[in-house]
Amino acid sequence: MAMKRHLLLAGAAVLLAPMATALAVPPEDTIVVGISADVNTFDPAPISSRDNSNIAKHIFGTLYEITPDGDIVPDLAESYVVSEDGTSYTYTLREGLTCEDGEALTAEDAAYSFNRAADPDNAFTGNTPGFVFSSIQFQGAEAVSDLEVRIDLGRPNPVSFGLIAEVFIHCKDSYEAMTLDEAARNPVASGPYRLVSWEPGSQVVLERWKEDEGNFQNIIWRVIPEASTRTAELIAQNVDIITNVSPDQIDAINNSGSAKVAPVQGTRRIYVGFNMSDDFADTEGGAAIQNAEVRRALQYAVDVPSICTQLLNFECERATGLVNPPNGNPNLVPYPYDPEMAEQLLDEAGFPRADNGVRFEITLQAGRGRYLNDVNVVQAIGQFLSDVGVQTNVELLDWASTYVPLISQRKAGPMFFLGSGGGTWSPLYDMTDLSVVGAGTNYTHWDNPDWFDRWTDIAAAETEEERRVVINEMLEVFYEDSPWLLLYFQPDFYGVSSRVAFEPRRDEKVYLFDTKLAGN
Amino acid sequence: MSLGLKPEHADAVPSVGPVPPASPKGRELRKEFKRAWRSMVVAKWPVVALFILLCVVIAAVFGPLLAPFDPNRQNIMIRLLDPLQQSGNAFYLLGTDALGRDVFSRLLYGARISLLVGLCAIAVGGTIGVIAGLVSGYFGGWIDDVIMRLGDIQLAFPFILLAIMFLVVLGPGVLNIILVLGIGQWVTYARIVRAQTLSLREKEFVEAARALGDSTPSIIFRTILPNIVAPLTVIASFNVASVILSEAALSFLGLGVPPSVPTWGSMLAESRDQLIANRWWLAFFPGIAIVLTVLSFNIIGDWLRDFLDPRLKTIG
Amino acid sequence: MWTFIVRRLIQSVIVIIGVTFISFVALQIGGDPTYLYVSERASTEEIEAARRALGFDRPLHIQYVTYISNLLQGDFGNSLTFRRPAIDVVLQALPATIELTLFALILAISLAIPLGVFSALYRGTPVDGSIMTVAMLGQSIPNFWLGIMMIMLFGLQLRLFPISGHVPFLMPLLQGEIVRAFTQLPQALYYMIMPGVAVGFYSLSRNARLVRSSMLEVLGQDYVRTARSKGISERAVVVRHALRNAWLPVVTMIGLEFGFLLGGVVVVEMVFSWPGIGRLVFNAISQRDIPVVQASVIVLALIFITLNLLVDLIYARIDPRVKY
Repeated sequence: MAMKRHLLLAGAAVLLAPMATALAVPPEDTIVVGISADVNTFDPAPISSRDNSNIAKHIFGTLYEITPDGDIVPDLAESYVVSEDGTSYTYTLREGLTCEDGEALTAEDAAYSFNRAADPDNAFTGNTPGFVFSSIQFQGAEAVSDLEVRIDLGRPNPVSFGLIAEVFIHCKDSYEAMTLDEAARNPVASGPYRLVSWEPGSQVVLERWKEDEGNFQNIIWRVIPEASTRTAELIAQNVDIITNVSPDQIDAINNSGSAKVAPVQGTRRIYVGFNMSDDFADTEGGAAIQNAEVRRALQYAVDVPSICTQLLNFECERATGLVNPPNGNPNLVPYPYDPEMAEQLLDEAGFPRADNGVRFEITLQAGRGRYLNDVNVVQAIGQFLSDVGVQTNVELLDWASTYVPLISQRKAGPMFFLGSGGGTWSPLYDMTDLSVVGAGTNYTHWDNPDWFDRWTDIAAAETEEERRVVINEMLEVFYEDSPWLLLYFQPDFYGVSSRVAFEPRRDEKVYLFDTKLAGN
Repeated sequence: MSLGLKPEHADAVPSVGPVPPASPKGRELRKEFKRAWRSMVVAKWPVVALFILLCVVIAAVFGPLLAPFDPNRQNIMIRLLDPLQQSGNAFYLLGTDALGRDVFSRLLYGARISLLVGLCAIAVGGTIGVIAGLVSGYFGGWIDDVIMRLGDIQLAFPFILLAIMFLVVLGPGVLNIILVLGIGQWVTYARIVRAQTLSLREKEFVEAARALGDSTPSIIFRTILPNIVAPLTVIASFNVASVILSEAALSFLGLGVPPSVPTWGSMLAESRDQLIANRWWLAFFPGIAIVLTVLSFNIIGDWLRDFLDPRLKTIG
Repeated sequence: MWTFIVRRLIQSVIVIIGVTFISFVALQIGGDPTYLYVSERASTEEIEAARRALGFDRPLHIQYVTYISNLLQGDFGNSLTFRRPAIDVVLQALPATIELTLFALILAISLAIPLGVFSALYRGTPVDGSIMTVAMLGQSIPNFWLGIMMIMLFGLQLRLFPISGHVPFLMPLLQGEIVRAFTQLPQALYYMIMPGVAVGFYSLSRNARLVRSSMLEVLGQDYVRTARSKGISERAVVVRHALRNAWLPVVTMIGLEFGFLLGGVVVVEMVFSWPGIGRLVFNAISQRDIPVVQASVIVLALIFITLNLLVDLIYARIDPRVKY
């Protein structure tokens, strides 16, 4: 019997031996980040998700980059000039740049990085070819000299400088030698870090190879899809930073003593769109929201500040338009929560309550699990609208497979819940969603000429002040005509271990170049 | 997890001797019930299980009368109240959830939907499976081959993948859930019914019916079917339990019922963000409801098996 | 024997084709997935071009026939999200899932047999009662809930086990790095315990009850009673006669059990960030990454079929009554 007990103890010891290493805090030169989405590729051109792009930015440099404050500062390039007609940008690269494999990084490589992403043979989709290039109407890139690269656009665009700063630069020879399959797994770094290992669905390990950039020698990105698991790993200090903290877990983290939540006002514009297309005109609700008075009335029906404090655990100011503060029209006051006003306006618009208390029925569609606490926020909005007699049926759809195709075809509605990425460096960046009536991002099919005809005035404006006047007038039209039921700019919550000092950015970018150990 | 499709307890199913298709008279039926009740009382636990299930059924039927609130009435200003809280002049027995809905009311309404999903899925799967099994076993030949290969295909397909595929595409909905979970069960029934039918097909009383000129449907449904009802009830009682769990798992993946429809599984799935914040009641009450119900179905299934299998009773 | 194997193989081909057909149909019901693979600003022409490039402009039956004929040449197509051969993506995720499922299977069977036997031998005592209560509970608790509770209790409060993550064992082993694989083995097992329990607890519970009832049945058989009456010790009766026969039904179940455990893996892999095929295929379904879904489904079906064939063959050896 005693013998058996010894064996048992020995067995336990063998089993428990790995514990010491498994549960240790990461070493001093290493930082561990817990992210929620899987990484798909390390090929710089087709990267599309935020998490994927965040990791890639540590591996690949860009010509310029956007600072947390919204300034655009040099990265691989040191200066640039714009042609007179505004359709070509010429960048001058820094001297002595190299890629990880020792190849010199010159203007030819920069031009190749752009042209490779646009090459139809590669059939890339993703942020660079799909969003940046179609926005700036990319025509081509060419090396003018050893250090100068010229990028040609289809038309002048005030935000193209910021968009070009999103394109990852890499070396030509190494990428020409690889198949697409190889390029997806073996990035050749032009930025400060390089890929050491990638276990899909589990973790990505980066290591610093440029001596003077970044404070940590190693960065480990761990993919942890379940919010509770991410929070538990953070509290246990196995992970230093986590993204997308669930609002109801904020207190648990703050009370843990080992980590805090760093909230930041994000730039993503969360709204409920009114789809005014003919697709819905013959439905009861679809017809009702064609009426601007109805749309304005509904603005008063939703208690946005309470949604923020209760469901998002964050004090927010309600949006007055589609432009991120502080670039909005300063004269506009957020619609207050005033259900009586809403009811009165609906009565006046010709939609009185019927005997059963219902004015009209309408469907509110939403994708699931994409934005902060979206499932609950959408249901709460449905309740607020139902409270003023607009019987709202909330339809929660699978995000990728069902909702995205609806949105892309501009067929979500008659009401739909969406968050649209924004920026702080220019009001026009946020406004380009509605550049023309037929724009792919004009999901509401809004067609008010008082808005759309003004873009010529924007282009014609000679000074920043003149342009600002037009912008303010346009934003007022947007506010009054209400194609969006205005909600809030999404806050982002990062869980940060007491071990590190990390300043979150407003634009959902997680860059760790300046992050360091706390107290250092 | 119970989304697999193995024929659960297949081997634990009693091989019941053929019962001649004599219609039992009322008195005999009563006698049978008495015997069943006595055996339940002796085993004790089945009585408790029966009592619990009775409570669940009462909640399901009379839920709307018993519930103090509309289960979908939200009030985000009083969200996440602890149990036994008063807010204004409303009393929340089991607290409120993340949208300020009354947990007690949702639990009562949840009984209805959870039970509905469980029983309907079994009915769907059972009906398809029994018919397929009867046809397969009775006729044999190529029909048998086709049906059994279809069953093999489904078994080789991890069922949860099929469920996810269809629910992602069809969207969440009570009917879709019932269909998907029901279809997930049919092979279990088909295999057992087929095996039983194969052995019954050659029995004298079936031959007799055939000789008397009974039509084929009549032989299948009136002569053979009554003889395999007993093992089917055993499997069904176990399966209700696993269907309720499957529904919870699908809710976890966001593929369960729409959020306006309360089920125990979806309530449990919604509570998962709250566990780390110690809001235990959100998980505890639906959890305990699932555990008790599933437990009761399992106990009844166990008892039924013992009751219907004479061999087990010989053990001292 | 050989005709049996050949027949089974032919059946397997039919099953595999059926499996691909069902998943193809299921994924196509919702319309073509092009919209998931173009930017939100894409023009109608760009969407059309993408549709052509992805091949979704062709009629469905042509798409399916092309797929099958490519498949017969060993080409599973390219993943739409990973832009790599779909089969590579799947095979990379497979070892982690096999590890987890195998661990759960071993756990479920190795513990179920002693617990079930014990319970049967002490029938009606508190020991039996408590084992069976736990087993009943095990069949009533959803595995994601069990997983999160274990993370809270053993991961966070007691710090006994790692909260999430994965240390590979099978992958390095298959890549020939045998030394690395085995030095990592203790770590790998350590990370496997909590997700393994979450996957296997349901099966463990069910099998324990199964063993108990089949044990009780065997103990009531004539030959056991005869053995007892001959004055053979109780221990010998149990080991030599009862146990041998009692675990046969469990062996028959192993093949199906594996398929069953795979079903639980999707949810548990989410909770424990396990980089396996369950999560991969769930995401692939949501992204309508049809080649990856097809490849995973085929691979899983193959494993399932092979396993069941093996079990049948083994069973034929153990149990002389079975003849093919």
